[in-house]
Amino acid sequence: MKRLIERIQDLFKDIKVEELMNRNVITITPDKSLLHAKELMRLKRISGIPVVVDNGKLVGIVSIEDIIKALENGYIKDKIEKRMTKDPVVLKLGETLEKIVDKFEKYGFGRFPVVDEDFNLVGIVTKHDILRALLEKLATIHLHDMRKKEILESEVLPDIADRSLLTGEHLNKTKADFIFKIDYNDITLIGVGAAKLKKFLLDRGIPQDIVRRISIATYEAEANVVLHSESDGYIYCFLKDGSIVVRVEDFGKGIENIEIAMKEGYSTAPDEIRDLGFGAGMGLPNMKRFSDKMMIISEKGKGTIVEMNFFLKEESGK
Amino acid sequence: MKISEISALISAEELVLIEDMEIEKIEASDMMSDVLAYFEEGTALITSLSSPQVVRTASIVGIPLVIIVKNKPVSEELVKMARENRISLLKTSLSTFETCGILYCKGLKS
Repeated sequence: MKRLIERIQDLFKDIKVEELMNRNVITITPDKSLLHAKELMRLKRISGIPVVVDNGKLVGIVSIEDIIKALENGYIKDKIEKRMTKDPVVLKLGETLEKIVDKFEKYGFGRFPVVDEDFNLVGIVTKHDILRALLEKLATIHLHDMRKKEILESEVLPDIADRSLLTGEHLNKTKADFIFKIDYNDITLIGVGAAKLKKFLLDRGIPQDIVRRISIATYEAEANVVLHSESDGYIYCFLKDGSIVVRVEDFGKGIENIEIAMKEGYSTAPDEIRDLGFGAGMGLPNMKRFSDKMMIISEKGKGTIVEMNFFLKEESGK
Repeated sequence: MKISEISALISAEELVLIEDMEIEKIEASDMMSDVLAYFEEGTALITSLSSPQVVRTASIVGIPLVIIVKNKPVSEELVKMARENRISLLKTSLSTFETCGILYCKGLKS
């Protein structure tokens, strides 16, 4: 129990003032009247205003207590520079939550201006800001833990690997309705996976025109893995309500510039590939043309994931 | 036009004849991606390729007849694949241009 508390403390005490301060500070210049400051506080519903000169330097602060005193003593029309609290207690950039909380306790003020090393005003911290920062941190920790739990409970699968790129929903690839391993060592095997997928879908009673679109797009994706990735790959197909998701992944060299690769006619294929009838630069454009939605994630040297969604309803219009 | 008529016009060897069906549309291409992108189902294909991809592509697009030109060597494997996928396969010594020219003059359109 004690260790747990210490651990939680560790998570919070190093939060820096930069992380929790409010950067949109309402300020006032010293030549204005206290009456002006009072109106500003009323309109903005705040209880203190840092006083800055034109170059941004902090010179003082006016709080609601100062206004009450001014009203009681009849000097509300005086200029701020005459009545403001000079040399206010400030927080400096880099100060941590531990010290900030100490200052709030020590002085009992409702807010502290935050300054940089030249005493320029860069933000303000109220008790409200601290509370908000703590809650955000707690929420982040919670979210992190939830994700960690999910990943630990699933079988392999880091991060995006087990989520649909298009809908974000969970895709358990070990339980895909159709799985095919693409062997990149034999060019003549291009299309075997697509052909098997076609048969699988027809056997499941999926309408022929949709099966045709899916198999054409998958054929192209499969060809890309064999011809370009220099690695094995997988075809996964998920039958969903209202749509069919095909995901083709490889672990190869990746696409350097997806935007260029998407252009019709662009190809990096060498002649021997063109001799086989590939390398026309139509692969990705064809996949886009025949799918209803498509998403590619790739990075040079880190493989490629292509996900395509095919709607079962008429709305696809293709 | 029936497949047998086409075969006769271009002096083709009938490697596989699934069914002597009517062919209404025919196109020529050596680019598989073009075939995937632009061929309508039921269109016959004239090509100078004889790789397994020709039959796989034909099967996926729904091409009932493939004509291989210029006497390209056709493997046993390809013939077997064509039969399995119910695709008729013809082979001719004519070039793509000649094959297209003859069939076009006889009224076949793309």
